Amino acid sequence: MSPEIEQFLSGMKKTIEEVVLPNLTDRFAQEQAGIVAATLGFLSTIQDKVYHYEVFENQQYKHILMGVLAILNTDKPLDDELLATIEKVNAHLQHDSPDEQTALRPYLFIRGSNEHMKEFLCEFIQQQPSMPDTTRSEFETLLKPFFNDLEKRERSWVKGLGFDPEAEQQADINDLLYENNILRSH
Amino acid sequence: MNNLYTHTQAIRAHPSEKWIADIRSRYPVEKAIDSVFTRKLHNRNQTAGQNMDFSRLHEPLVQFLTNQTGQKDIDVLNIQRLSGGASKEQFTFDLVIQTPTGEKETRKLMIRMDPKESIVETHRLREHQVLKAARGEVPVPEVLWIDPEGAELGQPALIAEFLEGTVQPPQPEASEKMSGVGMYFKPELRAALGHQFVAILAKIHAIDWQKKDLSTLDVPEANTTIANETMLGLWERAWNEDTLGAHPIMERAALWLKEHMPVVKTPVLVHGDYRSGNFMFTDDLKINAIFDWELAYLGDYHDDLAWASLGLFAGPDENNNFLASSLMPIDDFLAMYEQASGNKIDHEKLFYYQVFSYYKISVIAAATSLRVAHSRKTHLDAMMNYASGLGYIGISELNKMLNNSA
Repeated sequence: MSPEIEQFLSGMKKTIEEVVLPNLTDRFAQEQAGIVAATLGFLSTIQDKVYHYEVFENQQYKHILMGVLAILNTDKPLDDELLATIEKVNAHLQHDSPDEQTALRPYLFIRGSNEHMKEFLCEFIQQQPSMPDTTRSEFETLLKPFFNDLEKRERSWVKGLGFDPEAEQQADINDLLYENNILRSH
Repeated sequence: MNNLYTHTQAIRAHPSEKWIADIRSRYPVEKAIDSVFTRKLHNRNQTAGQNMDFSRLHEPLVQFLTNQTGQKDIDVLNIQRLSGGASKEQFTFDLVIQTPTGEKETRKLMIRMDPKESIVETHRLREHQVLKAARGEVPVPEVLWIDPEGAELGQPALIAEFLEGTVQPPQPEASEKMSGVGMYFKPELRAALGHQFVAILAKIHAIDWQKKDLSTLDVPEANTTIANETMLGLWERAWNEDTLGAHPIMERAALWLKEHMPVVKTPVLVHGDYRSGNFMFTDDLKINAIFDWELAYLGDYHDDLAWASLGLFAGPDENNNFLASSLMPIDDFLAMYEQASGNKIDHEKLFYYQVFSYYKISVIAAATSLRVAHSRKTHLDAMMNYASGLGYIGISELNKMLNNSA
């Protein structure tokens, strides 16, 4: 379909910058219109990657939750809250199975599944003090690279907003999502 | 509009009484903070969004000032919205009033009002008390009147004298950044303002707060972690009330902050948002006002030091070296502070508060700013969404610091 979304966005941005802004006299209105134009510019840079960002996160969260379940599959006694979270994760992975081709699902399904999985992982993190010491240590070791990848991905995503003093050192989101066919390899 | 995918997301958007009671019991906060946070959650269920038409303000403002001054023929002219002011709506206006000698006098004033929901939910009476406590000790605007609950003005508000001066000097290039984030000061400005910036912070921490009326601040016991427990309670509660979604790094950070909490030996008055963007200077380069005291509390001075030297607020010098609050190298800032205050820097504590600072900015910019835009209850919806960029950088820095922690 034409025009592509990028064309809609860049058309609006140009109109605001070249027609609306020069004719505004109120300082507050100028400031807000400037932010709207900057937001449209940012959206142009990410709009074609939103879907694959969620697909990628879906793979990442399934992978990490399965890793956590493996660690918690132990003979040591576990706290009731931990057991309840394990049960919720198992039920969720029936609903959105790691073996399924999630990428063929609608965006809202994938996004919703990801939001649930984030909550489950956060519950496990909160429950660390109740884990046996060796289990907690394994859990922390498992999560560290996950945290680092997440941080890198989010920072790459928002660098176009212009706040990052180290923007040039951040990864390109295209590389993080598409390099080496990473979406296929999971 | 962000969809509500999980039960937690749905209940956050439309909080039930049971959920509000549960969240209040889970996160210990100061009494005044509890009251404004609880009010925020009750307000969230109201459907009315933020009304941007500020002509509505004239009539109640005239009535309020008539009541406060006891004069029937006052006039309010030229109400104008101020740019910036991310957390509160701010307007200037002229008050025409009679002097004791019977002459008409025009005073330029400013009003600072809560939007329907703010990126930091704070207590106007508390801010008023802190400003009064600081007045005469450090440069602050004089607060004239306050409507703490918004009974007369519609929203909680504070009216103060309007001071002339510069907050953000001309920047090298056009920028939509939030005020105080990565600002640039020319070398002559840095030379003139840096020492004052440090000296004023030392004076704030030396205020004898026990002799002031600060009844809306809880007093933490010395040599305990109580000040940090209630402060972490505030920010964790804000995160859990406001975030649009769960975030594993924020959970990691909250747990680390709980498990590494230092003792506060002698609580001082902490400004809570001391940085470039929150002070103003005159044409002869004297700092004439310190603003934004709404996050002030009684706690550890390292908190202000960590916040003022946070990398996220740091602006560069001409060689692209990042400066504490855009004014001086961090080591110089800390050394000057030690000398001015006599307070020793404990680098382990400073690290704790640096982590805490990144946690706070991440709560503000990755959770609360997005919540208020989602609810349509702010005067700055576009900016609040845009600010998420700052929040995710905060989370990234937070993760790096936690990786470096013992």
